[in-house]
Amino acid sequence: MARSSRLLAATSVVVGAALALTACSSSSDDSGGSGGSGAAGPVTLEFWGWATGLEDAVALWNEENPDIQVDFFRMTGDDGDKIPAAIDNGTAPDVVQMSVHSIPSHVIANRLTDLTEYVGDLEDDFTDASWANVTFDGSTYAVPQDFGPNALMYRSDIFEQHGLTVPTTWDEYLETARALKAADPNLYIAQMSPNETGYWIADVWQNEGSWFGIDGDAWTVDVNDEASQEVAERWQTLLDEDLVKVVDMWTPEYWAEINAGTIATINYAAWFPAMLEANAADLAGSWSVAPSPVYEAGSTAAGAGDSSVDVIPTGTEDVAQAAQFLTWLNTSEESLDILVGENSMFPAALSGLQSDALHQPNAYFGGQVVNDVFAEAAENVPASWVDGPVYDLVQDTIKDEFAKVGNGAQTFEQALDAAAEYARTQLEQQGLNVK
Amino acid sequence: MTTATATAVRRTPRRRPRAGGGQRRAPYLFLAPFLVLFAVFTMAPIVLAVYSSFFQTKRSGLGFGGEGEVVFAGLDNYVRALSNDGFVAGFGRVLGYGVVQVPVMLGLALVLALLFDTALVRWKPFFQLSVFMPYAVPSVVAALIWGFLYQPRVSPIVEGLRSVGWDVSFLSPDVVLWSLANVAVWSVTGVNMVILFSALQSVPREIYEAARIDGASELRTALSIKIPMIMPSLTLTFLFSIIGTMQLFNEPMTMRAVTSNISGDYTPNMAIFQATTLGGDVNLGSAMAVVLGLVIFVLSLVVQGVSRRRNGADR
Repeated sequence: MARSSRLLAATSVVVGAALALTACSSSSDDSGGSGGSGAAGPVTLEFWGWATGLEDAVALWNEENPDIQVDFFRMTGDDGDKIPAAIDNGTAPDVVQMSVHSIPSHVIANRLTDLTEYVGDLEDDFTDASWANVTFDGSTYAVPQDFGPNALMYRSDIFEQHGLTVPTTWDEYLETARALKAADPNLYIAQMSPNETGYWIADVWQNEGSWFGIDGDAWTVDVNDEASQEVAERWQTLLDEDLVKVVDMWTPEYWAEINAGTIATINYAAWFPAMLEANAADLAGSWSVAPSPVYEAGSTAAGAGDSSVDVIPTGTEDVAQAAQFLTWLNTSEESLDILVGENSMFPAALSGLQSDALHQPNAYFGGQVVNDVFAEAAENVPASWVDGPVYDLVQDTIKDEFAKVGNGAQTFEQALDAAAEYARTQLEQQGLNVK
Repeated sequence: MTTATATAVRRTPRRRPRAGGGQRRAPYLFLAPFLVLFAVFTMAPIVLAVYSSFFQTKRSGLGFGGEGEVVFAGLDNYVRALSNDGFVAGFGRVLGYGVVQVPVMLGLALVLALLFDTALVRWKPFFQLSVFMPYAVPSVVAALIWGFLYQPRVSPIVEGLRSVGWDVSFLSPDVVLWSLANVAVWSVTGVNMVILFSALQSVPREIYEAARIDGASELRTALSIKIPMIMPSLTLTFLFSIIGTMQLFNEPMTMRAVTSNISGDYTPNMAIFQATTLGGDVNLGSAMAVVLGLVIFVLSLVVQGVSRRRNGADR
């Protein structure tokens, strides 16, 4: 232990020092204006990404575009952590896939190319919510790639067994949860996972809330705003009445609970069915998908969690070509056929949502065309969510605060207040305007 | 290099001050590669960290478009570090952990080393290897394995205890620190045992013989002869253990994947990681790292001071 942790500490100091060094020098290579010149002659772009099937899409592109060749590198594990250092050191690839939530902090650190003039007119090709996520203060910094709208996955066998109907509003959901508990005290309507903020974000997003906002030239911190408090109230009731099982997501314990059949619904993202199938194969045929319950009867608003985007780091010389490639990759029929059809990516592009490839029966869900539900949800996600500069820190804080909620040491409301206060302080310490 | 060999080969024909100087230079030449690497990979990062801890990047408005301005911040980062509840609480946590884990682990290592040193134990290499083996397991893997063994519903241990009516929760907020300590004890007892054992081996056998002739029991010999004889090694392992404790990172970081009861700033090193990697605030992280380094430095001095005085008094 002693040896390896010291090594790690030493490395982090070195890395820290390297970052400090480059923070001073990175300003020199941001003026590479050659991007717009559309230099003649073939160029080769380096592309780091992780979505399955990107290799195939890139191969097709390379075949059709001899002048703009793309070298694809598959990111694994902690490769994502290398990106900031790589950009700051000028060794970054020309195109990178990243989590949508990291955009603002990278823009502030001057790591992303403003793509407004290259891809600004793609707005109508994407869902409102996914486009809103890549646009800040009138500038577009990324091209949306995939998206994760929520729908309610539920154990139709359990619902049937106890004569329950699928809830359409959150009030009904609460009633269903109570009925389930009454029918069998070992059953929970859902799980509460302090370590998975995607759940929380989706619920707040569906309620047209956000963690951050932009008001003039100032950030707003909305972690504990009204929309969030409403969500908090509902979760608090679920927790207080022991209607949800507190278990950290992605752990072996979580999958054991799912497989044991103690969790009856999962209101989660479009990419989750594949994980469910992989980790609970024995439950094939037991699940169905319905639209997420809503806050007001008649509303169609859906939530969404994590999604990924493609960006062009500062320092990239062939911005125009890279943007051309990204436009093709994420909006063209050829590319989406590969990514969506053969590789089950859930696309951010509207054309992808309408593609036949997406709407195929899912055997695990007993032949239901589950993506019908998810695709409709995707178009109904409000364009309300705004990511902020200290997203990662806030997310980490929320996790830690929610852990205390899960232990009964505090309420959701207190957790949100603490996280909001933390976010505000962080922004102020960076000298940013906060309202 | 060439001058060094040259002077070494030529037997100084006459007493010349120069020749002596060349020979005195030789060790430095051989040390040079180390010194260069030491300067580049140890001293330079420390200097840079200290330097960077006095600066801050200031931005304005939304922070978009403009370059951040790096300004001298004096001790501001240190004030921020020390007023960061999570960071400070982390020190309390690792200290509490160390106070329990280090004595337990070293005690175990010492007892095992003493047992192996007696003539009574057979199959010595086998037992020694089994105690040492966990050290060969990378700490991240160790934490993963134990994390699995701590989780309800999947752990045979938890389920086994539950079946006999003992409902334990290894990952609950009050217990998780000791579950981490258990992993560390499992991992590093073996290597400390080896260090202490080899120290015991170097004690001249005649002393034991003399003790035996004087009628001392094995226990008496252990307490009055063996332990005092290996005191320097004990001090060394103690020092390393304390440093390791303060720098606790891998195990809690890994175990965090299975329980949210380990916060992102659970230990000082994790708080530094959080500030730099998630928060992108290298300056604050540097200040925290300097604080951690100073605390370890002071603790090491205290341990060495105490042990030196103890040794002095014994003689």
